[in-house]
Amino acid sequence: MKSNGLTKHIPGTKDFIFIDQNKCNRCGQCILVCVANLWRKNDITISISEDYKERCLECAACYQVCEADAIEFHYPSGGTGIIYEKG
Amino acid sequence: MNTYDIIIVGAGPGGSMSAKIAADLGLKTIFFERGRKPGEKNSSGCGLGPRMWKDFPSMMKELTPEKCPSMRAGSAARNYFINQEGVVAGYVMARPTESVSYEPAKSWITMNCYRSEFDPWVAEFAIDAGAELKTSTLIIDLLKKDGKVCGVIDEHNNKYQAPIVIGADGAVSMVAKQSGLRTKWAQDQITVVPQYDFQASPEKIDDIMGDETLAVWWSAIFPASYQVFFHDGFHQGLGNWLNKWDKNPLYYLNRVINLKYYQRLLRILNAKPRELQSHLLPWLKYPYNTHTDGIILIGDAGGFPCPLEAEGIYPAMVTGKAAAEVAAEAITSEDFSKNFLSKYDKVWKNTSIGEEFETGEELYNLWKALPFSPQETMSWFVPMFMEVMGGIYDWSQPHAKRVRQIASQIKSYMPKALPFIMKYVFPLVAKIFEEDLDKMMDPQKLMAVIPKVMDLVPKKKKPRRDNT
Repeated sequence: MKSNGLTKHIPGTKDFIFIDQNKCNRCGQCILVCVANLWRKNDITISISEDYKERCLECAACYQVCEADAIEFHYPSGGTGIIYEKG
Repeated sequence: MNTYDIIIVGAGPGGSMSAKIAADLGLKTIFFERGRKPGEKNSSGCGLGPRMWKDFPSMMKELTPEKCPSMRAGSAARNYFINQEGVVAGYVMARPTESVSYEPAKSWITMNCYRSEFDPWVAEFAIDAGAELKTSTLIIDLLKKDGKVCGVIDEHNNKYQAPIVIGADGAVSMVAKQSGLRTKWAQDQITVVPQYDFQASPEKIDDIMGDETLAVWWSAIFPASYQVFFHDGFHQGLGNWLNKWDKNPLYYLNRVINLKYYQRLLRILNAKPRELQSHLLPWLKYPYNTHTDGIILIGDAGGFPCPLEAEGIYPAMVTGKAAAEVAAEAITSEDFSKNFLSKYDKVWKNTSIGEEFETGEELYNLWKALPFSPQETMSWFVPMFMEVMGGIYDWSQPHAKRVRQIASQIKSYMPKALPFIMKYVFPLVAKIFEEDLDKMMDPQKLMAVIPKVMDLVPKKKKPRRDNT
């Protein structure tokens, strides 16, 4: 099933997910568990999609699954980010 | 000066209950919500059982469709069994059984409503009791003085002071992290749960589902998936521990949606996908590190979801109440030390949540090894179960021969089933019945019963009727 168009976000947040390339061991677990499919692996690095602030479901699975502690996760600024009207 | 008796980070049902109790006890209380209103950041968790009404009667009796239009209660649950070919091999619908002892639980099993309605409704009780709610406010750190917690700081550097802080801030708890109680969950303590919400008309849902309120899709090809019906829609979700995924969680959820049977259900319900959601859910054998100097963790932040099915709202409200009561005593005694706050553990262990966790490890182990191990366990469990349930529906053979075929087939699952029962079912049964089990297994008593049973078995085969 296509998941496009099934989420609603309030814009205006600061960045809230960061990856430390020095700590990242490219294990790819963040890519595996991200329900919103936000993470990408290229030849040498893993990075998060540039538009992640408009797509992130704020579950923090990427942060929890990262055993190298390379991913820093905060929540978006108060009153911004994902809205679950039927959660 | 923003000075309070108690600060609660998080305005979910647990945080709001904590704030209500604290305000009722006369404490100057503030609670924070990062969303524009409570509940708009939360998904799932809103199947409310009769125990909510049992434990919080004056509050819950006020829950009406006017307050929560998505409310839908029902008395039945459906269990679908999906085999390795992705076929619904059978289903069982179940109502409250004759052993149910709590009177209201005889007529309904859960009342479901969306968090976006339920959470603000609970928060109103806290506000009415005198607690101050600050929404759209992200708390980013604890305020400390001489190494002691003395409040919190929001993202705009506003400071709020109180000698005690309740962490009601969910699975990824800032309060737990900044207080040093926990940096991260271990991978086998935390699940990720993607979920779709579907829109469907109330009439269709009533016509097709009747008074069924939820369904579980037990499967050999995805971790057990739950379906929860609301007034004008339903959730379909599934979860597993973070170290159990070999493909993306959404891949497995879409496997449910793409079942032929499920597609048919969507067609007849005329259901349309409305939202995609995902959240983390702590799922532990036993909560630990629940408090430290000036800090108490409740609900998901403290790891309190039920060890069997991970329902989190009720444990959050029970622990939220316990935390506020202990905090009030700490304020009276002017003692916020870890040692004093250890009373919190004594209090929650004495509730139904504490009783639940007495068998937490056994429940957790069994559940993790069964519905959440589709390939390893459900691949033989589903066909074995269906042999029992449906094997007799075969009119190609004489019935006695059919029974022998079924028995032989069930026997073939035993090399897998028996070790499973020994490893996961026996420990749970032993823990639940404890001394009673010894009595039941007493050889003398067994010997007293077995010969009588043996007497009932005919000694000789009766002669067959012969018409010749």
